[in-house]
Amino acid sequence: MTRPPAVTLRGVYFDGHSSRDRAATLSLGESAQLTLDGESHAFAVAALGVDPPVPGVRRVIRLPGGARFETTDFAPLLAWERASGRNRALRGVAWLEAHWVSALTAVGLAFALLGGFIVWGIPALATQAARVTPRGVLASFDEQTLHFLEEQDFIGPSGLPRERQAQLQREFRQVQGWAGGGYPYRLLLRDGEPAGAAGVGANAFALPNGTIVMTDQLVALARSDRELLGVLAHETGHVTRRHGLATVYQGLGLGLVTTLLTGDLVSASTFAAAVPAAILRGGYSRAAESEADRVSADFMRGRYGTTKPLQDILTRLEAGADARDSEPTWLDIFRSHPVTADRVAALKALDAR
Amino acid sequence: MSESTLPDPHPLGRHEVARSGTSQPLPGALTSTPGVPQVTRHDLRFTGSAGEYFRLWIVNVALTLVTLGLYLPWARVRTRQYFYGHTWLDGQNFEYRANPSALLRGYLLVGALFALYSFAMQREYYWLGLPLLLLYVALYPWLVWRSLRFQAANTVHRGLNFSFHGTAGESYVAYGAANVAASIAGIFALPWAWFMQRQYQVKGLGYGQARGHFRGDVAPFYLIGLTSLGLSLAGGLVALLLGGVVAGAWSALSGELRAGTDVEDLLDGPTVLIFLGVAYVSFLLLYTVAWQYVRGATMKYVLNNAELGGVVRSGATFSPWGLVWLGVTNSLAQVVTLGLATPWAAIRRTRYVLDGVHVRTIADLDHFRGQAQQPGSALGEAATELLDIQVGF
Repeated sequence: MTRPPAVTLRGVYFDGHSSRDRAATLSLGESAQLTLDGESHAFAVAALGVDPPVPGVRRVIRLPGGARFETTDFAPLLAWERASGRNRALRGVAWLEAHWVSALTAVGLAFALLGGFIVWGIPALATQAARVTPRGVLASFDEQTLHFLEEQDFIGPSGLPRERQAQLQREFRQVQGWAGGGYPYRLLLRDGEPAGAAGVGANAFALPNGTIVMTDQLVALARSDRELLGVLAHETGHVTRRHGLATVYQGLGLGLVTTLLTGDLVSASTFAAAVPAAILRGGYSRAAESEADRVSADFMRGRYGTTKPLQDILTRLEAGADARDSEPTWLDIFRSHPVTADRVAALKALDAR
Repeated sequence: MSESTLPDPHPLGRHEVARSGTSQPLPGALTSTPGVPQVTRHDLRFTGSAGEYFRLWIVNVALTLVTLGLYLPWARVRTRQYFYGHTWLDGQNFEYRANPSALLRGYLLVGALFALYSFAMQREYYWLGLPLLLLYVALYPWLVWRSLRFQAANTVHRGLNFSFHGTAGESYVAYGAANVAASIAGIFALPWAWFMQRQYQVKGLGYGQARGHFRGDVAPFYLIGLTSLGLSLAGGLVALLLGGVVAGAWSALSGELRAGTDVEDLLDGPTVLIFLGVAYVSFLLLYTVAWQYVRGATMKYVLNNAELGGVVRSGATFSPWGLVWLGVTNSLAQVVTLGLATPWAAIRRTRYVLDGVHVRTIADLDHFRGQAQQPGSALGEAATELLDIQVGF
């Protein structure tokens, strides 16, 4: 370390016992010399506490015994600090804060980091975390969700004939064997409208531990069992890729980002961030649907050489819903599923390869 | 920032002349001048600038992101140091001196508990989530008390630290019982809770050996509450109507009013979303207006009725409605600039408030005597900061 240059600073002295301000000078050299009312007091330099600089704010030097010296002679004090190696890290921060170039770099960096983290970081981390989560954690998930759905009359006992159910179960075992992963797969056939239109309707969904629910209404919609197998393969894709659990982790990740941005865990700004968060969650969910479609396409192409049956049932599902919704609009950013036209186009592209 | 905006960097204590020879501080906080006390008015001055603070802010945001949040306490402390350090009273500025490493420990603990809680609630592990929630509710007044002590003890002016002498028990009345009452009786008890909390804060405040005193009454808080309620109701009605009109216009324009369609068909898709969107934005706007009004009006009232050591009275001349306008325009600016206007908004608000605050004193401000108070653990401060508990005024 080079010997710090001797500097003399003019400023104010407070004794720490009263609020009285007294003009003083502080010389920093071999030792520290405080000149107060014509009297000189000497301190060891090592006994001084120099608070880190904050832009434009009067600097504070703590003297032994609770007294302090405050000065706006920024430049000489900074030179002395630099030479004596004090406050390295926060002096660096203050330097960054003092320049527009570093501030604009920080703007770019902040947006890039945040954008990158939201687009790639959170999905990657959530996928990874979902992958390493122990199997035991998954088990409780399925039962709780089923219980909830049944309680709320979203699903009810299936009305399909016993033989038809057995046939679907047999066919599901083929998909199950193909999907692998060692999950305790089971196919539950359920009525999607046990209490009228309030149910889940023509639908199929997968729970994290391998429980797949398919409704009678979806079975009725299919023109061939190939179509249903395509849907079931899609659902096994959600299971093996652990999309359900990843969603939980994505929620936590988005919460973390909101916290970093607003600086608070809970606040009005968290509420304000709810809509952007919903848009992002929709984006993650659309990515998961597309991935499950690719899994199903693997199955379909391996078995039948085409994804046509899956395309057909998707199109029919869409027609059963509302035709108006099939055209892409800006409101699609809220959707959990990609627009059917896009999904069918993606499947066609896979077939063409 | 240019040097010229700073006060004289070498204030030759103007009281030196009058008291030459008296190098010992006078006992107590009382003036020794006999006869009729001379009232002196000191205006607060704020010397922060938007450009300078923007650089500080964005650099600290970037550092927080790069360090995955570990730098957050340093960012918070520097931000406060900037605002305190640029606030001047009678030629001397304020200082914030919290220890970021102590805050970091508190942040990590509170953050870990909150992460555990949100995970438990998302996974519906109520046996874990609910006890955590209960623990938080039970500790809330205690955390507020610790936070007030921490904030006060870390605020320095003229070489003396502030202190907080309210007790934990009083906090369980002002922040526990009063909040419970407010959550049961709503608007009938909420202003009383505000009053109890402000009184607790001001009465407990100490500067050196001087103690705070609150001359305020509960009635004005009810007036503030009623004004804000009226504002919310009227605004909510307007928002609903507006949402309905906009959604209706959309549904008519997009040709959804076809013959034979029933109401259920109308209430779907874009129409509902537009209605919800308008309602959402209106609610945020309304919340900003009502909350800014309550904040501004209570702050003004408290400042106009606070005393310190019987020799200093604070006063406020800013308008609460001015603060509402500032709050709304600030929020809009922040949304439009994707948050980049946040530092400008903070400086603008602080300048507006502090330019309207003064103190009147019958003693020189350099006559206070010190009494140290240790800030204590930073846990309360970390909890109140992270969980956005509104303490302080």
